[in-house]
Amino acid sequence: MPWSKFRQDYAAPTGGRPLSYCAAIREAIDQAMRHDPRVFAIGLDADDKFGVFGSMANLTHPERVLGTPIAENAMTGVALGAALSGLRPIHVHLRNDFLLVAMDQIVNYVAKWQDMFDHQVRVPLVIRSIIGRGWGCGAQHSQSLHGLFAQVPGLKVVMPSTPYDVKGLFLAAVADDSPVLFLEHRWLYKNTGDVPEALYTLPFGRCARLHEGESLTVVAASLAAVHARLACETHGLDVDLLDPRTIKPLDIDGIVASVQRTGRLLVVDHDFPFGGFAAEIVAQVAERAHGALRQPPQRICFPDRGMPASGVLERAYYPTPDRLAAAMQAMLAGELVGGGHGF
Amino acid sequence: MTRTTTIDRADVTWLLRRMRLIRQASERIARLYPTDVMETPVHLCIGQEAVPVGLCRHLRDDDKLFLGHRTHGPALAKGLPLPKLMAELYGRTTGCSHGYGGSMHVIDLEHGLPGSSAIVGGSIALGVGAGLAAKLTGASWIGVSYFGDAATNAGVFYESLNFAALRRLPVLFLCEDNGWSNVMPKSAHSAHDITGVAEQMMPVLQADGTDALSVYEHAGHAVERIRGGGGPMLLHCRTKRWMKHQGPERCDLAANHIDPERDCPIVRLETWAQRSGMLGADECTAITAEIEREIDAAIAFAEASPFPQPELVEV
Repeated sequence: MPWSKFRQDYAAPTGGRPLSYCAAIREAIDQAMRHDPRVFAIGLDADDKFGVFGSMANLTHPERVLGTPIAENAMTGVALGAALSGLRPIHVHLRNDFLLVAMDQIVNYVAKWQDMFDHQVRVPLVIRSIIGRGWGCGAQHSQSLHGLFAQVPGLKVVMPSTPYDVKGLFLAAVADDSPVLFLEHRWLYKNTGDVPEALYTLPFGRCARLHEGESLTVVAASLAAVHARLACETHGLDVDLLDPRTIKPLDIDGIVASVQRTGRLLVVDHDFPFGGFAAEIVAQVAERAHGALRQPPQRICFPDRGMPASGVLERAYYPTPDRLAAAMQAMLAGELVGGGHGF
Repeated sequence: MTRTTTIDRADVTWLLRRMRLIRQASERIARLYPTDVMETPVHLCIGQEAVPVGLCRHLRDDDKLFLGHRTHGPALAKGLPLPKLMAELYGRTTGCSHGYGGSMHVIDLEHGLPGSSAIVGGSIALGVGAGLAAKLTGASWIGVSYFGDAATNAGVFYESLNFAALRRLPVLFLCEDNGWSNVMPKSAHSAHDITGVAEQMMPVLQADGTDALSVYEHAGHAVERIRGGGGPMLLHCRTKRWMKHQGPERCDLAANHIDPERDCPIVRLETWAQRSGMLGADECTAITAEIEREIDAAIAFAEASPFPQPELVEV
């Protein structure tokens, strides 16, 4: 059956059962491999006994899970070559920071291959990587960098926050004929939610409304979305919380429509501030709905420096739900919250 | 290794025709280039023709060849029609990449050319991916990574050979060693010996890259062994670059000695073919004239083809 038969819209999950974010990814990978013999997984420690933090444990087709040497750059090229030869590779990385070793292949090759040849070829390649932060992991094991990758034409960037979204969007990534970078936050792995058992795909470029309100639009993806929702619910804030789910393509129409209603915009982005995803949303909203803004749009990002290791420093570095709540309350009171350099 | 590759009149004619096609097309490009009708950098391969033709005589259309920036020779040898190459150089919609690729990014899916790259080294890994796909699906094609001596300095060369060897993938690594990285001689850019590095991981063959028969023979052994499940191999072909790294001019580096007779793969093959009675002098002359007509037609096709619509860039 072709992949297009599995398309679903974002209706609330039906026939679901509680599943963790990690189990939802595992189920998606397993179903993709069972459904389509062209799908295989490859990556450093992809075949280790831990199953990539459990996300690839006990798969039905272990023969299609290939471990690799530490050689991310060439292995990305290998995955691209396999995709150009008719397969649908899932290239998995235990840490998002490792992608930087493969930037030549990701930016010059994977992202450009279709444009260079006027889309005569399909590049059905999913690059899956896990954002792991905290516990002193420091500056080289904690980065997200979705803004950096979204800046490159030819890459779709997906970072779901819920088990339902992660399964449907992952399967949509595998079904896509163009490269998709799929970012999973390690801190979401134990979160649970209703997930249908059937194979389904969800569309890219559509926001989810995680909290309804009329006085402030907050945009946040991945773990930041979960933190922002917690802040809204704990403090009963009048906030319209949008999770873009896909950084690129971006549902700017959904964001602008919300801002036109609320008149205020705060972007919470777990990434570096300069020229990043939050800056992009603020720029696009300013271009399209400047007149709707009742006060300057604000960003909460990581500080513009590498991640520290000591727990004391980490807790100061990363925005917490409480700090998000304080920022939202400040904006609702008409105050500024500290620009792009962290709150 | 036993030498079982044979060559017949049809092979020799094919080798000569394709070398003539590459040479004469390159010379025509060099003549036209100063008029700016081709707004794209050109890396010509005059003098290096023996390597791509000796290889590609053994490749099937479904074998996947991945190239670096010096594309014209191997692409034409693999089967890219000259009109599509010329139209691409002219920036027209009828070009192999519809005007989006230029000289360094050529593609021909029908003939096993899934694209080429202008970043030296990286495309070595893509050939390994094609080999991996063959192994995973049981397909009988092979992947071919085609690169120059300077690409062996990039880490991706080592990473690619290592993975292909670990998985015994059907991949041929073809090193077209012209001895130069732009204007830097190999003695200045490589402390390693290319074949020595590869030999730690896989069998290596060496051919004379100015002699189409030598490349033909060794490539034949390599392709046969790889297709038969023998795992990856590297074929090292030492050749000579007659032109500058880029552009229509002859290379003027003092250390790059070219003997236009002894180093010329076309002179060598024609001489051998005539001495051995494979081809007559008149047949060789006829091939030259036929190719000139093909080039005339390819240029006329390119010149008559439309340019892409600029608004298409706004997608």
